[in-house]
Amino acid sequence: MRNASVLLCLIAIFILGCGQDEPVTPQDLFAFNQPEHFPPPAYDLENDPITRAGVELGIKLFNDPRLSADRSVACSNCHAQAVAFADPQHRLSQGVNDATGTRNAPQITNLVFMSEFFWDGGVSHLDFVPINALESPVEMGNTLAEAVDFLQSDSDYPALFRAAFGTDTITSGLMLKAFSQFTNLLVSDRSKYDDVVLGRNNASFTADELAGKQLFDQHCSSCHTPPLFTSQGYANNGLDSTFTDEGRAAISGNPLDLGKFRIPSLRNVARTAPYMHDGRMATLPATLQHYNDGIIQSPTLAPELQSGIPLTPTEQEQIIDFLNTLTDWEFMSDERFN
Amino acid sequence: MKQFSLALMAIFTLLSFTACDDDSDDGSMTDPTFGSIEIEFDNVIGSNDDQRGFGLSEVGSTDYSYSNGMEQNFNVTLLRYFVSNVRLEGEDGLVYEDETLVDAVNSKGYYLIDEADGSSQTVTLENVPTGEYDRIVFTLGVDSSGVLEGAAGGVLDPATNHMFWNWNAGYVALKFEGQSDVSVGGAFGETVDQDTPNGIVYHLGGWKEVDGAPAFTNNVREISLDFDSHAHVAAEEVPRVHLEFDVESIFKGPGGDIDFTGNNNVHRPVDGSNAIDNVVAAFRFDHIHE
Repeated sequence: MRNASVLLCLIAIFILGCGQDEPVTPQDLFAFNQPEHFPPPAYDLENDPITRAGVELGIKLFNDPRLSADRSVACSNCHAQAVAFADPQHRLSQGVNDATGTRNAPQITNLVFMSEFFWDGGVSHLDFVPINALESPVEMGNTLAEAVDFLQSDSDYPALFRAAFGTDTITSGLMLKAFSQFTNLLVSDRSKYDDVVLGRNNASFTADELAGKQLFDQHCSSCHTPPLFTSQGYANNGLDSTFTDEGRAAISGNPLDLGKFRIPSLRNVARTAPYMHDGRMATLPATLQHYNDGIIQSPTLAPELQSGIPLTPTEQEQIIDFLNTLTDWEFMSDERFN
Repeated sequence: MKQFSLALMAIFTLLSFTACDDDSDDGSMTDPTFGSIEIEFDNVIGSNDDQRGFGLSEVGSTDYSYSNGMEQNFNVTLLRYFVSNVRLEGEDGLVYEDETLVDAVNSKGYYLIDEADGSSQTVTLENVPTGEYDRIVFTLGVDSSGVLEGAAGGVLDPATNHMFWNWNAGYVALKFEGQSDVSVGGAFGETVDQDTPNGIVYHLGGWKEVDGAPAFTNNVREISLDFDSHAHVAAEEVPRVHLEFDVESIFKGPGGDIDFTGNNNVHRPVDGSNAIDNVVAAFRFDHIHE
């Protein structure tokens, strides 16, 4: 019997030796799992393989206010897991030295599937996303170089970088890769909607949810396209006729983009109030009311919204019932993320 | 039984060493069919037949020694550019391509030429096949393959190179900053800021076209320079190819004259395309030290 187990161990070691067909280990909890109804990742995961040590480092960085200029603002200040990593409190983001930003902090779920980031799409690689928050004077107000210096001089971080990347010489690149390992793991695909679509857990829509889904498919899905519930495009959804924030046009240089913002994902939308790029809508009913009768005309208004989206109060409630099925409670309580 | 186990372990150990062995030492470091070559990027003022020395000025200096094509005088407080994808070509299809590699800690094959750092102005290529080379081709800037690698180290590290655009994320290909007595000021960069009198700032870059987004444009350019004699790469010889970059020609040439009285604060790819056209033509081959 003893020899048999030695033999088994040897075989196991031999198989592991070439890094293939590894048996299930706790490490797999930190592997990227492709939801079968989602598009493939936009991020090249082979470039930054997700590991437990890398994710745990990313989470520590994400929650560390010492990365900001006055050591008061962590990424998690504006991106809280309990609300799908959106900002639970503030209409506009709150930064260092009590600075107020110009936009609402969006949820940061399912970024691994996306190729442009921020409300104006100014950044086109996930690795570079944290740089803007770290260096924006109204967010964390720091410089990349100072953040790296802080990490290097800290008593804990060098060992954590060694565990994650095999070196305790910290670079901005390793810090950014740790952030990306964490955010790449933030896949929200366990809502009731997903259960129904995949036939999981015997889930089915109620009559109102189903009616809401049909209305959604008819009126909303061209922009908020399943399964990510965003087309990843940019649109002016009739909030203003003059634009203090130029939105996409500030990035693209195209006057036809004036007042257009990135179409946000509606996954977990019931948890991510307030809504719109500047958080001006406090609730989902107010938002649906806007589409019903609040559309403001302007030259760049989305063609689909020229006449608004006329919906009866019952229809609005049904759409909200459907949107509630996009809430992913398992994601928001997932212990890997805290 | 115990002996059986030991034997098995021995066999296993042997197997596990050979099974994954794909390392091999090609010995290229000592191979006599390879050598080195140095490429010097020398920033100068003026054309070949009217060449003057070039140097940086302090911010605030009112000594304007150089002039653009419109006889507007200027000085320079910062000059820095990326060179990458270096390729040497010789007769009979002889080609050496410098490898480019990007990861979170290092970058290889990208060179940041900085007027303030003399050592940055010589690029040494090693393991170059022995032979006669008569042309160099290189990229000005960092192309999509470098940007799309994401977080990067070495000279591409945005924490240290000051050559990264956070918005429209990508690398600045060439940074020029200085002052001109005809500039109205208001330009901002690393060395001059909004309050600097007469500042002129040209941050040139852009690595992709985006449909419907005219602010984006691909300003990554390939530059090809013929040598007037062969660069002889051999095991015991390190030829030094002396290239020159005429700083005044950033502002005149095929892209047209850049007028410092307007357009003196360039930060978007599309706004720098004409200057990039000038920059490409401002490089020239000078001579080879054998």
